Amino acid sequence: MKAGLGFVMAVNLIIWCGIAFYLFVLDRKISKLEKDR
Amino acid sequence: MIYKILLALWMALIIVASFFYSEAAGGFPGETSRILFFHVPQAWIATLSFLLSMIGSAIYLKKRTVDADHFALSAAELGFLFCVLATVTGSIFAKATWGSFWNWDPRETSIVILLMIYGAYFALRSALADPDKKRLFSAAYSILAFATVPFLVFVVPRITTSLHPEDTMNPASPGMDPRTLKVFLGSLLAYTTLFVWMLRLKIRLLRVEDKRDREDL
Repeated sequence: MKAGLGFVMAVNLIIWCGIAFYLFVLDRKISKLEKDR
Repeated sequence: MIYKILLALWMALIIVASFFYSEAAGGFPGETSRILFFHVPQAWIATLSFLLSMIGSAIYLKKRTVDADHFALSAAELGFLFCVLATVTGSIFAKATWGSFWNWDPRETSIVILLMIYGAYFALRSALADPDKKRLFSAAYSILAFATVPFLVFVVPRITTSLHPEDTMNPASPGMDPRTLKVFLGSLLAYTTLFVWMLRLKIRLLRVEDKRDREDL
C-alpha cells in the first residue's frame, strides 16, 4: 500500500458516507412533506 | 429505494477501486492522476445538466408547464454545483501537476466564464418577482446560456495551447489500462445515477414548495 493513499481513500469514503446520509434524510423528509400536503 | 442503496454501495466500491484496484496513469507526478476518476465524471455531469436545463427551458417555452421550469431550474442548479466541484478537483490536480492551484489556463478561464454565465441565470431568477415572467425570461436565458457551453467546454481549450491533459481519461485513447477503464466507466455510472437521484429530489422539493405557495395564496 502506497503511503498516504489509504488516508486519502478514507477521507473520500467519509465524505461520501456524509453525502449519502444527507441525501437519504432529505429523501425521507421530502416524502413526508409530499404525504402531508 | 433499492437503486439508492445500490448507488451508495457502488460509489463506495468505486472510491476503494480508484485507489487500490487501478494503476496511477503515467506522465503525472505520483498518484495525482487518481483524482481524474472524480474530476472527469463531475465535468461530464455539469455538461449534461446544462444540456438538460436547456431542454427543460425549451419545453417550458413551448408548453408553459411549471414542471418543465422546475426541471430546467433543478438541472441548472446541479450543473452549477458539479461545475464548481469539477473546478475544485481540477485546481487540486493543477497544484500537484503544474505547481499552482490557478494558472488562468484556457480550460480554467472558460470554466470561470461558464460559472459566471450560469451565476447570472440564478441572479436573473431571483431578480424577477412575477413567477410567470421569471420562468419565461430564465427559460430564454438558459437556452442562450447553453449556446456557449460547447464553445467554452470543447472548442476554446482545443484551439488554444493548454496545460490540461486531453487523453488521460479518454476511453477511446489507445492503450488505456483495462483496470483504469473499468473504474472510470464505473465512476461515470455512479455519478450519473447520483445526478438522477439529486435531480429527482430537487424537482420533488420544488413541487412541494410550489404547492405550498399556491395553497398559502
